[in-house]
Amino acid sequence: MGAKARSYASPCAQLRAAYHDCFNRWYSEKFSKGQWDKEECVEEWEKYRACLAQHLEDKHLRRLLVEADAGLNKNDSSHSTDSNKAAGE
Amino acid sequence: MVRAYKQEHVYRHPWDRVTAASWRKFTDSPAVLSHVTDVHTLARRLDPGGGILRATRSITVRSPQLPFLLSRLIGQDSVLCHCVESTVVDAQARSMEIVIRNGSLRNLIEVEERSRYNPHPADPDRWTMFQQETSIRCRPLSALTAIAEKVEQRCAERFLQNSAKGREVIERICKYLEADSSSTSAAAGREKVPEPEGEDEIEAAHDQDKSPRCPLRRKKKNMASESVTTIVAGGVGGGEPH
Repeated sequence: MGAKARSYASPCAQLRAAYHDCFNRWYSEKFSKGQWDKEECVEEWEKYRACLAQHLEDKHLRRLLVEADAGLNKNDSSHSTDSNKAAGE
Repeated sequence: MVRAYKQEHVYRHPWDRVTAASWRKFTDSPAVLSHVTDVHTLARRLDPGGGILRATRSITVRSPQLPFLLSRLIGQDSVLCHCVESTVVDAQARSMEIVIRNGSLRNLIEVEERSRYNPHPADPDRWTMFQQETSIRCRPLSALTAIAEKVEQRCAERFLQNSAKGREVIERICKYLEADSSSTSAAAGREKVPEPEGEDEIEAAHDQDKSPRCPLRRKKKNMASESVTTIVAGGVGGGEPH
């Protein structure tokens, strides 16, 4: 697919594709349909994440990577899930 | 100095399919969203007890061609800008919220696009309501920062211009996800689909202030056949002089 072709320059392209394929399948078939008790694609994620940590060259992206980790690991109050409100309008 | 834009769209697909398509939006259709040059998942976290999934991705966007003087100054025809996308999906409540912000030059301009996908109240099991708010906040400018700001403006413009395309992409991905699922399981009872009410409502955009240099002063209507985007810019006072 084009996305892969375009990203050949990135050393993590294949690991990313493997992770995204796995994630998309898990999300469609399980998580979004109510089976959220088990995290999947963990191995794919760890390989991909390790590659990013090693190879991400762009300094802005590196900074974003560090911030992203910190952001998800702190207690998140910035996001609301007030779905009822949104759906009711 | 804030500009805000709102839009809504109704997908005639169930919530799980539309949100699955949303995850694939930037990675499955590179030809359509060609301004997106790279997408990486930077972090993810699942709360298995509550069914809440969080993820952070970087989206690298190529700006449209820069104005001549600017491209001479910078030495490039266009630039890459990084955006950060934070997503929270609550599978139990069937809500997905996506916030995209610019990741660079935030001291000059802040662009935030906040999107939600929820089951449509009229037919929660078959339709999905999409709501999106975009706000652009420009900082007061010095002569020096004006240049950097223009760069980021160009990226923001590109991003908004592709909003309508993004919806088309999601519609298309939904179709093939639907084809996939109906080939594996019998899709019964989908033939009769009533028309949704209150579709494509226009939400008046609000605008608290104006800056002469803020981007995107234009109105767009009927960008896609089923969607209406209203962009209202302008307003009075408070901004800096021309």
